[in-house]
Amino acid sequence: MSQPDLLLPHGRILRYHFHERLTHWVAAGSFIYLMLTGLAFWSPWLFWLALVFGGPQISRTLHPWAGLVFFFAVSYMYAMWSAQMYSTENDKEWWKNIEHYTKNEDDRMPPVGRYNPGQKLLFWGFVFCGLLLLASGVVLWFPEYIPWNLRLLRYAAVIVHPGAALLSIGLFMIHIYMSVFAERGAFGSVIRGDVSVEFAKRYHPIWYKEVVGDSTNPPK
Amino acid sequence: MSQETMRIQKMSAHAGAIPGEDTQRTYVVSKLIDTTTCIGCKACEVACMEWNDLPFGETVFDNTYQTMPETRWNYWNLILFNEHEREDGSLQWLMRKNQCMHCADPGCLAACPSDGAIIQYANGIVDFQQANCIGCGYCITGCPFNIPKFNPQTKRVYKCTLCADRVGEGLEPACIKACPTGCLHFGSKDDMKDLAEKRATQLRDHYNFPNAGVYDPAGVGGTGVMYILHDATKPELYGGLPKDPQIPLMVKLWKGPIKWLGNIAMIGGLIGLFIHYLRFGPKDREDQDIREQIALAQEKAAKAAKEKNEEEHP
Amino acid sequence: MTNGWVDIKNTDMMLIMGGNPAENHPCGFKWAIEAKRNRNAKIISVDPRFTRTSAVADLFCQIRAGSDIAFLGGVINYAIENNRIAHEYLVNFTNAAFAVNNAFKLPGDTDGVFSGFDAGKFTYDRSTWNYAGPGAAVPAGAAPGALPPMPANVDYDLTLQNPNCVFQLLKKHYSRYTPEMVERITGIPKAQFLKAADTYTSIRKDGDMKQVGTVIYAVGWTHHSFGTQIIRTAAMLQLLLGNVGRAGGGVNALRGHSNIQGATDMAGLYDTLPGYLKVPTPADANFDAWMKRATPTSSQPAPWQSWNYYSNTSKFTVSLMKAFYGDAATKQNDWAFDYLPKVDRDYSWTYLWNDMYDGKVKGMLAFGMNGVAIGPDTNKNIDALKKAEWLVVGEIYPDETSEFWRSPRVLAQGDQNQIQTTVYRLPCAGFAEKDGSFSNSARWLLWKNTAVPLPGDCRLDHGIVAQIFLKVRELYNKEGGKFPDPILNLTWAYSEPQNPPLFEVLKEMNGKALADLEDPATKQQIKAGQQLPGFAWLKDDGTTSCGIWIYSGAYTEAGNQTARRDPSDPSGMGVHPGWGWSWPANRRVLYNRASCDVAGKPWDPSRKQVWWNEDSKKWVGNDVPDFKADSPPKDHMGPFIMNAEGVGRIFAPLSAFADGPFPEFYEPIESPLANLLHPERSTNPVVTKFKDTDDKFGTVKDFPIICTTFRLTEHYHYWTKNNPMNVQLVPEPFIEMAAEMADEMGIRGGEKVKVSSARGEYIAKAMVTKRIKSMLIDGKKTYQIGIPFHWGYRGIAEDEGKTARDLANQLTHTATDPNAHTPEFKGFLVKVEKV
Repeated sequence: MSQPDLLLPHGRILRYHFHERLTHWVAAGSFIYLMLTGLAFWSPWLFWLALVFGGPQISRTLHPWAGLVFFFAVSYMYAMWSAQMYSTENDKEWWKNIEHYTKNEDDRMPPVGRYNPGQKLLFWGFVFCGLLLLASGVVLWFPEYIPWNLRLLRYAAVIVHPGAALLSIGLFMIHIYMSVFAERGAFGSVIRGDVSVEFAKRYHPIWYKEVVGDSTNPPK
Repeated sequence: MSQETMRIQKMSAHAGAIPGEDTQRTYVVSKLIDTTTCIGCKACEVACMEWNDLPFGETVFDNTYQTMPETRWNYWNLILFNEHEREDGSLQWLMRKNQCMHCADPGCLAACPSDGAIIQYANGIVDFQQANCIGCGYCITGCPFNIPKFNPQTKRVYKCTLCADRVGEGLEPACIKACPTGCLHFGSKDDMKDLAEKRATQLRDHYNFPNAGVYDPAGVGGTGVMYILHDATKPELYGGLPKDPQIPLMVKLWKGPIKWLGNIAMIGGLIGLFIHYLRFGPKDREDQDIREQIALAQEKAAKAAKEKNEEEHP
Repeated sequence: MTNGWVDIKNTDMMLIMGGNPAENHPCGFKWAIEAKRNRNAKIISVDPRFTRTSAVADLFCQIRAGSDIAFLGGVINYAIENNRIAHEYLVNFTNAAFAVNNAFKLPGDTDGVFSGFDAGKFTYDRSTWNYAGPGAAVPAGAAPGALPPMPANVDYDLTLQNPNCVFQLLKKHYSRYTPEMVERITGIPKAQFLKAADTYTSIRKDGDMKQVGTVIYAVGWTHHSFGTQIIRTAAMLQLLLGNVGRAGGGVNALRGHSNIQGATDMAGLYDTLPGYLKVPTPADANFDAWMKRATPTSSQPAPWQSWNYYSNTSKFTVSLMKAFYGDAATKQNDWAFDYLPKVDRDYSWTYLWNDMYDGKVKGMLAFGMNGVAIGPDTNKNIDALKKAEWLVVGEIYPDETSEFWRSPRVLAQGDQNQIQTTVYRLPCAGFAEKDGSFSNSARWLLWKNTAVPLPGDCRLDHGIVAQIFLKVRELYNKEGGKFPDPILNLTWAYSEPQNPPLFEVLKEMNGKALADLEDPATKQQIKAGQQLPGFAWLKDDGTTSCGIWIYSGAYTEAGNQTARRDPSDPSGMGVHPGWGWSWPANRRVLYNRASCDVAGKPWDPSRKQVWWNEDSKKWVGNDVPDFKADSPPKDHMGPFIMNAEGVGRIFAPLSAFADGPFPEFYEPIESPLANLLHPERSTNPVVTKFKDTDDKFGTVKDFPIICTTFRLTEHYHYWTKNNPMNVQLVPEPFIEMAAEMADEMGIRGGEKVKVSSARGEYIAKAMVTKRIKSMLIDGKKTYQIGIPFHWGYRGIAEDEGKTARDLANQLTHTATDPNAHTPEFKGFLVKVEKV
């Protein structure tokens, strides 16, 4: 049950299809815009960010639309990836050894599939935050339509939106760190789509085996 | 009162010191609304419309004398009419002029994310600067009195200015000027408090209002609009005037602890990741790659040497 | 008002009834609030609905519309029973001690009518309504049916014990108005009524005379078939409590418009001439006969004096004739007596419209009023206009009258095209577009300047009238005619005849000397042509002219006194002697001599209005004394100088009123029950009804609900439905009804309901409120509804087709008060249905 179509020349394996990469970057772009404009409204000390993006009124106008874009991107990711994101028995073992993972002692980690449990958590975190941000964001988008006797919705929104945003920023920072700094090759994978055999073997050995299937037919 | 008192002492979402903060002796102004002498004539409503040149809007009959259910972006001053039956069976028709309360500790200003969109002058007037307003509507959420209203066309929020333009020139607000019964008063906060207490005492001593009192809620630091109520223990009867108005807890949390925790978390996270990188570096160290390549090359070279050796020494 | 707006701040107690000043007079109502704030004054609000006034009142009683006399009579009874009366005042300043003709009978003794009732003609022979005393017989040779004069010296009993003295008759008459009876008639529970009566009369607790109470009313009292008598009852109560003439007291009529006081002063009614002079009738053979009838002779107890100021009637009248006709009015031609029309019958509002309905009146000039809307029985008025040949309307908006063919009923009948009436609609000036003076409720004349220029083709109302007059005069000049003299000789000496400057009209009203005059006492001289300083200068020898004697002093040689704007108030009592000018003689509180005791000392030293100064032997004070300045207290001249008796009339003798010397409670013309005092004589016996097709009257069987009409602060009559600001404040007509009634009928607030009377229908949305409650009338549950009347079929929303196009007066009927001729707009019967 190999996936030979993922095997590329020169010892590369296709990790992300084009539509996955595109979705990722739509989400990433909208998220970065949302984060920066959001931070502008978060703190007076960062209000200048709004000026960078064309002024606070424009930022206020576009932020909710960017939010919709982000949410749809995340929704599509959910459609694409959620099946692969469910926790497995193996994952529990991985979490037990998380300390080794943080110390880059990957060889002491149990083998993982296409996504390690940390990535799964990231995914679910973004899905979860996306939902919260959307729900609270709609309230914040049209606060004038929330009647006075439903004002609790607005109160909830002002706490949920920044809360979820902070959480997602935290996930985002880890995500950037892991993909750009910690696991080199990962960043490239979401640009070009492929990773090296070594990368696959090192970080996602089970996935590697799934792709390669029978070890008698190793990638070229 | 001169324009000097229009110096800004609080400003929304402003990084750093406020230009006018504590630069002069404060002279806080206040409206005093005596609901016990209000006859609901709506002269204040008309005066507000006229002075501020607010455009007319449409209203529909709603089984009440009240002009509309609540204030609008183009209707800042609204008398609320409420029928209330007292315990002795007598009826009260309570009329309360509703408008911005000009809180000393304004929830709108606290919630506003836009630099200088909401300001508080040294005289206590809380004023929206629509040029700086981004239309986010956080002020609507921050206000415990349901006052700021959004104009969907301009995407800005509007409310009573306490006629800052008049007050700055030494005039009383338009509503005060128009009030025919003298139920509305305007002056320094201290004077108004004094007047209010005297009137409340009179109501307790000479009229059938043992619970008469002054509404100047401490929860928002006191207000620039005070009420004399027949029954100060039940402000809710006057069209839902909150008994103990506060900046909503969620807004306080959001602008207080959550904000600091968030900042600490974000900065801490960045620093933490950086330290982690310093300590552990990338998972696939570059030198490791090179070692692998060297090993591979050495292996290859060794293999080649071995083959050659075998050729030479079969 | 006997007093004035500002004076209300001096009061301790307010009975506000038949009026809703907080709603309709919000600016003047500030003084009621001042009294509350500064004097701890109380307000008692008695009204069919809990109103804006009730909202700031200390006590509210919901009364059945039209039962006011029962309530007030009950308060009089309470005051007498509990000795809450001003005894010294009552004995010396009112006719309480006067003895009444033995033949006079009270309605309690004669089946609900006073003595002298002619049941066939529905009129009274009022000759028994007189005082007892020598000289009260009809003089020989008097016209048949002429009333006897009042006795020159009235029999009296200062102990008030004589069973035929006014006080005892009063006591007897109102002893029938027990708290139980008041409850059965008015629907006010006994305990609540007693609380109100106790509160109001508490100012005279234990004989104290310092405190003062005022009675404040408006059209809620006048709009009844016995309206004048309601006001009379209040006046009697005030005399009984010694409240008249005093700061913070009086009987205070709040006029509905800024210049209604001026309209009445200037003889807006058919039966007076300017300054409340009586009109001549066909029975007056000549000027002297007219003056003899119109001039009262003094009548008081022998040891007392009465100034009887109306003994000067001929001076006022001759000066008026000189103002009308100038040199054409001479002693030789009886001061042009023949020029004046002689009033032979009732020409009041409903009669005029009835005459048009009957085809007798061919045309109408309608200025400053929306006749179709403001009169009762709109549909009858519209039917009348259909029969008119022409109609001229001068207005600032296109109104219902000028488009009477667009009324809902005409549209429904579809006979618009048959209407032949020619209508001329002339754009006129609004109040801010012209100068002139307002005479307000306080009798203050206040000059105003033009604020904005006339828009478009608008013209000044009086300019239009002047130009019509000049054209008519031109025709008479050219063609002669039956009797051209009154037209050709009318004084028209204005600098701009086509548009008489209003200050010149005011000067004419003030009057001037026509010859050199000298006051024999002071040697003060006035040259011919100079403005008169006041009405004391008026002469009946043709040497003075004066357009209205009570306004004499308004525009003197010192200039336009009504334009004065000195706000100072040295006494602090709201007199403001330099602000505008008030009639008579810049006097702010009428009958202010009564603010002092018999010895001339103020009842309340903290509210000194006028007093007798023993040193200068003169009446002096903070106000202009309404009294003969040099009459010492020991002469016992009565303070009510306009009455021939010199005292206040608790009993109103002879021709004073058409329907009785004491007010008696009668049911409204349409009423849910028969009069509990005398079921056989239920309604006012001298009120007659028209009998035309449109004049229908309903009974409680078909129309079980009592209806009253009212006004809103947010609107001004039928004007402001043309102003977007007012329309925004109250956008639609509505019908106020009790929540209990709405529940029973399954009506919710905002749903449309139809109100029908015997005359017409009115559809509007329901305002369901706790402010009206069901009431028990003689034990039977009864409901009242209220309709604000500001809408019609022309206006912003009306033109957009958004609101009902009915006029509230489609419901009202044409029966009127026999004294003031005011229609009964309040307290008629309707039925209510869900639409």
